Amino acid sequence: MSVVDHNAIELSPRISEAEVADYIVLLKPRVMSLVIFTALVGLMMAPGHFHPVLAFTSLLCIAVGAGAAGALNMALEGDIDAKMSRTANRPIPRGRITRAEALTFGMTLAFFSVMTLGILVNWFAGALLAFTIFFYVVIYTIVLKRWTAQNIVIGGAAGALPPVVAWAAATGSLSVEPLLLFLIIFFWTPPHFWALALFRRDDYARAGVPMLPVVAGPDATRLQILLYTIVLVAVAVAPWPLGYFDAVYGVTSLFLGSGMLALAIDVYRRREGTQALRATRKLFAFSILYLFGLFATLLLEVVARAVAPSIW
Amino acid sequence: MDDKREPDGIVLTEAQKKSRRQRSIAIALALGVLVVLFFAVTLVKGPAVLVRPM
Repeated sequence: MSVVDHNAIELSPRISEAEVADYIVLLKPRVMSLVIFTALVGLMMAPGHFHPVLAFTSLLCIAVGAGAAGALNMALEGDIDAKMSRTANRPIPRGRITRAEALTFGMTLAFFSVMTLGILVNWFAGALLAFTIFFYVVIYTIVLKRWTAQNIVIGGAAGALPPVVAWAAATGSLSVEPLLLFLIIFFWTPPHFWALALFRRDDYARAGVPMLPVVAGPDATRLQILLYTIVLVAVAVAPWPLGYFDAVYGVTSLFLGSGMLALAIDVYRRREGTQALRATRKLFAFSILYLFGLFATLLLEVVARAVAPSIW
Repeated sequence: MDDKREPDGIVLTEAQKKSRRQRSIAIALALGVLVVLFFAVTLVKGPAVLVRPM
């Protein structure tokens, strides 16, 4: 008599019906677009001549590396995503792609992006890109996200690194300017994500993610948003008087910063009802415009200097 | 012999065949981009590599 009844075992391997579009969603295209834009600014600001083909290669590798980090993040957070209305439609909670498939996809892209950047551009930039992916996936996603309310403060470093990687790709070294870009994104992250977490608080609570509004409450979060915004505006304006960025940037930074500060004060003051919700949503939306505006101004300065160096 | 025998193994549905074909094309394109990228950067970084004295 056979110990195992072979007729009782029905082998039904899972055949994937995932389309390319599902894999593109895994790359977090909206996050990737911000990464490409900030990296482009880092690349354009770097001194010296950088061949366009190498610049394109660097941007492509940074973009694919960011996508890899996004895919690995989704692979590791499938359980959280399934419980949150904002993320329940992602390919893993919907059953379009398995965790193992997403992990394989993410690891493959991470490997190729780092190796390509290292081989074709330089190994310092390649190593920085590897560290960025490691920081986002291991430090932020695995360690911090489910453990502490400071998750997005520390984890924000990963999102702030792309312009630094781009600068390293162009120059093979680091300088004060890319670190200033890093600091701007680093201090921008908490007010941006805490504004989101304020109006998605129930979602995060249901998923068991210890975001600040869930752990410390909305009022404490409002105060933290205001404090971080004050630091952000100061850090974003500082490069102008310090002589690193030009006056056009300085004035734009002051103008956009005052808007950001006004909205953060509004969020701090309005604590109840639809007005409070509206103030939070406004701050969240404006914070994206704020970061885009600062980096776009830096990009325009670089382009203007290259096109008309005598006038600038 | 019976020619109308059911094929052995896994039979893919039309949707599975379509998505697999789509994924295969995407992988081929990605590999193509990688090859072109390596070729282009090789030319940019060191065209001398193509000059090989006999």
